[in-house]
Formats: sequence, structure tokens, C-alpha cells
Amino acid sequence: MNQPLAGVSVHIDVQAPLLSEADLAALKLELQDTYGMVVRGINIADKTGDSAASQVVERPRASRPARGDIEKTRVVRETIRSGQTEDFPEGNLIIYGDVNPGGEVSAGGDVIVLGSLRGSAHAGMNGKLTAVIVAMNLVPLQLQIGNYISRPFVGQKSRGYPEIARVGMQDVIIVEEFVKR
Amino acid sequence: MGKVIVVTSGKGGVGKTTSTANLGTALALIGKTVVVIDADVGLRNLDVVMGLENRIVYTSMDVIDNRCELTRALVKDRRVEGLTLLAASQKNNKDDIQPEQMKAICEELRSNNDFVLVDSPAGIESGFRNAAAGADEALVVTTPDVSAIRDADRITGLLQHEGVEPINLVLNRLSPEMVRKGNMVSKDDVVALLNLNLIGVVPEDRGVISSTNRGIPLVHDNSSQAAQAYMRIAKRLTGQRIPIPEIREKGFFSNILEWFSGNR
Ligand SMILES: Nc1ncnc2c1ncn2[C@@H]1O[C@H](COP(=O)(O)OP(=O)(O)O)[C@@H](O)[C@H]1O
Ligand SMILES: [Mg+2]
Repeated sequence: MNQPLAGVSVHIDVQAPLLSEADLAALKLELQDTYGMVVRGINIADKTGDSAASQVVERPRASRPARGDIEKTRVVRETIRSGQTEDFPEGNLIIYGDVNPGGEVSAGGDVIVLGSLRGSAHAGMNGKLTAVIVAMNLVPLQLQIGNYISRPFVGQKSRGYPEIARVGMQDVIIVEEFVKR
Repeated sequence: MGKVIVVTSGKGGVGKTTSTANLGTALALIGKTVVVIDADVGLRNLDVVMGLENRIVYTSMDVIDNRCELTRALVKDRRVEGLTLLAASQKNNKDDIQPEQMKAICEELRSNNDFVLVDSPAGIESGFRNAAAGADEALVVTTPDVSAIRDADRITGLLQHEGVEPINLVLNRLSPEMVRKGNMVSKDDVVALLNLNLIGVVPEDRGVISSTNRGIPLVHDNSSQAAQAYMRIAKRLTGQRIPIPEIREKGFFSNILEWFSGNR
């Protein structure tokens, strides 16, 4: 088959949250198998919170204990600036500040940024695919969960609400509005 | 006891030397005693921007090597009372000076001056470390473009690590027209990212370049917006509370006036 788009890497950014995660997975498969494209990640602009996508989602984290009080967590009370790194392979990482472009944070568990994540974050650095990245303002240069990498478009505008990144069913990083459980 | 303030940025060409020359002069114009130190060893140019190049006999290297007393190495600026320059050696390189030696010089100078401004070289290596060694405070200079801001952020992290505090931000070469057209990062976005206290905004001004070339800091003539911006920053450094005005976009009329006055 003629595949003029083969090898092109794309990032699916769904502005109207009408597709379920299963639909997105089908779309991803279609893009990969029929067109030979590489799907880097999926973004769901899910402002309303009642979209099919967020309802249908079968969350891999459901099997995880809801209370994480036995997990180790490191709290960093400052902004991670360009050239600075913060690694915490033993557990979760909470940043009481921003992660600026050129700054990098990595954790064995979740990465929570209580400011703007504009740099790079790696959750589940030892391979834990149920780890998530949450930020009040998620406009990263790069996200990584386990060995899955997502490079959102540069110059991405902030959406104005907290977002969560996780590995979806189809092994891509999905970014959507953070909704409390 | 005076204050030692390092003027730094990470990136080159963003206005460290221009800011040091103008703020040093502005502080002297409002009655303070000031020493400006060129810490850009090997590439000195603060003396050129200040028009003092032909008066330099000794440099900081001569002081460090005990060839000359510190007070004798200071070049007096004859245009304003209370302003002196300590030049950098052009024959040496940045690794010929140790941070402790710079610190000792700053300590001695602060005991009989109100302000010691240290013009830092670009980069994050030994030249920057020397410039920052004796500093209590810092002025981080950036222009409204992504790479300068990134470097300013990097330098800020290093300064915080050294315990330099406060760190104030100077946003240089802001052009309201460019921001309006979306070609430049806005003032608010720069401040949001760097999360520093903004001490002043200096507009893009062609007068800066001609003043650099003539060796007369812009603030000697208080007519331009850039000169006024530097005067206000100097006053803020002395503790005065002056709001930061929005920069006016130049109208057709002022452009015509400038054209006729040859101030292009
Ligand atoms: N506000 C400004 N408007 C226009 N030109 C400027 C302004 N500030 C600096 N410049 C010019 O930019 C160049 C670099 O400035 P300089 O102060 O030498 O930077 P640095 O010391 O950070 O390397 C010089 O040619 C200078 O005249
Ligand atoms: Mg310079």
C-alpha cells in the first residue's frame, strides 16, 4: 500500500471530547496500521468533564490502593529551574512550585506539580505504568511514564485547569482534565 | 557598608554591560558613591561603554597580583561625582582569578562605597562564579526572548544555590510593538516564568547603541524612555517605591521628531 505519511509522528489532540477511549484506540490503530504514522500521545480537552472519554475509560489505576499513605513521598518546596533536576526513584514527588523549561523531575511513582509544569517530567521511572503526572498547569516540553514518551507541541497554550497524564489502554500517554476521585 | 550587586544573565548580548554602566551612572547622579567592576576578564568592555577606556592604567589583575593598591586602580569618571571603575585585564583569562580574590576586592570596596556593581560575563562557568562571589544581591537581566529567558532561569537557580538574595529582574529591550504583534514574550509571561521581583523594564531604544558607541551612558541625558527607565531602577535600588509604568509605543509624531533631531 502507498503510505505517504509513513513514519510521520502525530499527537492526537481532541478538542471536542466526543470519542471514547476505545474510539481513540481505534483511531490510533488506524493511523498506525493504515497510514504507518507514529502516534506519540493523545490529548483530550475535556473541560465539561462529562464526556464519553472520561466516562468510558477503564482506568488502570483502579487496581491500585486508593490510600497511598504507606508510599514514600518527597516534597520539594521550590521551583525547579532550567538545568536543575529532582529525582526520587523511591516514591512520589510533589513540587510546591513550577518546573521550568530545561528543568527535569523524575519519580518512581507519581509526579505532582502544584504550579506550572513547563519542563520535563518522568513518572514511574522504574517501570511503574500506573504512575501519573498531575500539574495545575500542564504545558510540558516532555512527559514520560515508564518508557512511554510524549512530546506535546511546542507553544502549547495553557488550558486553565489542572490536568493529568497517564498511560492509556493503548500504550499512549493520555492527557486530560484532572477530576478528583 | 555598601551593597554588592552582581549584574548577570547567562546569555550574552542582553544588556548586562549597558545596565551596569547606566545604573552605576544613575546611582552616582542621585548622590550615591559607586564602583562598577568589569568582571569580564579577557573581553573587557565596560570601560568602553563608559567612555573610560583611554584612562585605564591598572586592572583588577594588578590588584590581585599586588602590583597596585586597590584605590589606585580605580578610574574616576569625571562627568559625575562619586563614580569609579575597576577595569578587567585584557591580557588574562577568566581562570586567572579566583572567587575568593574577587570577594576580597568587593569586601574592601563596599566599606567605603554605597554600591558596588559587578558586570558579569556571559556563561555559567568560572567568569560568572567570580562575578557572583562577593555579591549580596543580583540583578538578572533578560530580553523578552525564549533563549535569554531560559538562561536567566538557569542563572537564577545558580544564584539561589549560592544564597544570593534578593534577586531582582531587569527586562531589557522590550518593544511594545513586537509584543503586540506576538513576536516577543510579554512582560507578564517573563515574570510568571522566572518568578522574580521585576525591578524595571527598559524599552528597546536606538539611543542605547549610539550612547554605547560614544561612550556616554544614556542616563546623562534623561530625555529617552530607556534613560528614564534606568533612573527609576536606580531609585528602586536605593529603596524608593516607584511603580513600573507601561512602555508607550512610539507614535508617528515622536518618530518624526527623532528623525529630525538625528537621534536615529
Ligand atoms: N534597551 C536597548 N535598546 C537597544 N539596544 C540595546 C539595549 N540594551 C542593549 N542594547 C545593545 O545590545 C548590545 C549588547 O549589549 P551589552 O550591554 O553589551 O550586553 P551584554 O553585556 O549582556 O553582553 C549592545 O550593542 C547594546 O548597545
Ligand atoms: Mg557585557
